Amino acid sequence: MKGISKTYPSGAVALRGVDIHIKPGEFVFVVGPSGAGKSTFIKMLFREVIPTTGQLFVDGVDVMSLRPEEIPFLRRQLGIIFQDYRLLNERTVYDNIAFAMQVIETPYRQIKRRVASVLDLVGLRSRSGDYPGELSGGEQQRVAIARAIVNDPLLVIADEPTGNLDPETSRDIMRIFSQINNSGTTIVMATHDKNIVDTMGKRVIAIEDGYIVRDDAKGVYGYEPGH
Amino acid sequence: MSLGTKEYFVKETFKSIKRNQLMSFASVSTVAVSLLVLGMFLLMVMNANNLAKYLESQVQVSVYMEDGASQNAIATTEKSLKALPGVVKVTSINKDQAMAKFKKRLGDQNRLLDALGEENPFPNSFDVQVDKPERIAQIVPKIDEMKGVETAKFGQEVVEHMFKLTELLRMGGMLLVFLLALATLFIISNTIRITVFARRREVSIMKYVGATNWFIRWPFLLEGMFLGFAGSVVATLVLMQIYLALQEKVYTTLAFFPLIPAWPFLGYLSLFLIITGTAIGAAGSCIPLRKFLDV
Repeated sequence: MKGISKTYPSGAVALRGVDIHIKPGEFVFVVGPSGAGKSTFIKMLFREVIPTTGQLFVDGVDVMSLRPEEIPFLRRQLGIIFQDYRLLNERTVYDNIAFAMQVIETPYRQIKRRVASVLDLVGLRSRSGDYPGELSGGEQQRVAIARAIVNDPLLVIADEPTGNLDPETSRDIMRIFSQINNSGTTIVMATHDKNIVDTMGKRVIAIEDGYIVRDDAKGVYGYEPGH
Repeated sequence: MSLGTKEYFVKETFKSIKRNQLMSFASVSTVAVSLLVLGMFLLMVMNANNLAKYLESQVQVSVYMEDGASQNAIATTEKSLKALPGVVKVTSINKDQAMAKFKKRLGDQNRLLDALGEENPFPNSFDVQVDKPERIAQIVPKIDEMKGVETAKFGQEVVEHMFKLTELLRMGGMLLVFLLALATLFIISNTIRITVFARRREVSIMKYVGATNWFIRWPFLLEGMFLGFAGSVVATLVLMQIYLALQEKVYTTLAFFPLIPAWPFLGYLSLFLIITGTAIGAAGSCIPLRKFLDV
């Protein structure tokens, strides 16, 4: 990311001259007060938001110059996780995860094998026939994580993944993220969760008012809880 | 595209139609009604054209003698007619034969003629056949001038009227069909809009995991095409029944009317209607998709 700025059509400035380099295999927290520009930062990575100025490369690909029909292929390199899980309630756990592979036209057999293996990773193999409504919040988020990593992304982007979960469940979720990161996948996570950031001891980028105010290799949350 | 993907598309399509039964039914009905009207107009226009062409190709002139013409005059006229260029055959029909022919045509209703009593209003006449339709215009004025001839009639006036009628039918039909096509497009695109709206979450997730626009589009496109197809099949079946019934009726009562034979005419017409219906369905589903795919 070089000299990235974003001004929304309303005139609101979300990011100002951001320069960031994230190395492959890193685990990065993005922290900061609400409205500081965290979401904009995250959304740029999968090109939901396009920077107003600057340069943005994901895995060597110039995201800003992508043609619309090339965007899907960028997103196939990414796993995206949201605070509200975004699962399809009328599909089973298995189908929710398999869906991500179906839409990129993976052969059926490969889907079956791969879904079973990610269900093992998130510890939900026994729930594969259940519907999202029958699961707890933590379990739903684990399904969402499984869906995000099922296509072996280079980069997992998580926007407040523990925002709706209690501390203990959050720790479980973070354990899964650590595992994913240990296998070489880069993780960028926006969060408000002080405990998580402080206990993980990973790189922390703090954004305030559109500027990067801190970038520590082994950082702490640095704000009062509930900020 | 793999087999699994195609299977996925088809499954999604029917799931969506089932979920949206009422709107799907409305779409199919609208398509059916619109195409039925289109089909009816096509049937009418094409038959009118056919009739006009048939009349034009008639190589026969009917020559009616004056009422009081003597046997002598009749014989002379016959000779003169035979001498005209291009005349192949001259058939003499006297008053009684004309009456008998008319009685036969009336069939069950020949008692209507009782009102005439002993009177026979038919004149003596000749059917003059020529070798080519173009001859007719040349010889008719000559026949008209012959002594004892009341009038010589041929299809020209009727043909002109027919062409005018056909033109009118075509124009009115076109306008109506255009409006109906618009209505169909509108209702199908609304059905698809509802489907897309119901599945916007799914669509957005598809976009996040890297589905291409075409992958997302296919099930909706198939749905629209299926609705159009189903409607056109209904229209085609109804139209076929109508035409076959009409044909039966015409054959028994208006045997001389040159109706276009049902086959293969109805086959072509059906094919045309089904392709049109399916195309309208496809177009209708593309309209609402454009907006939703823009994520």
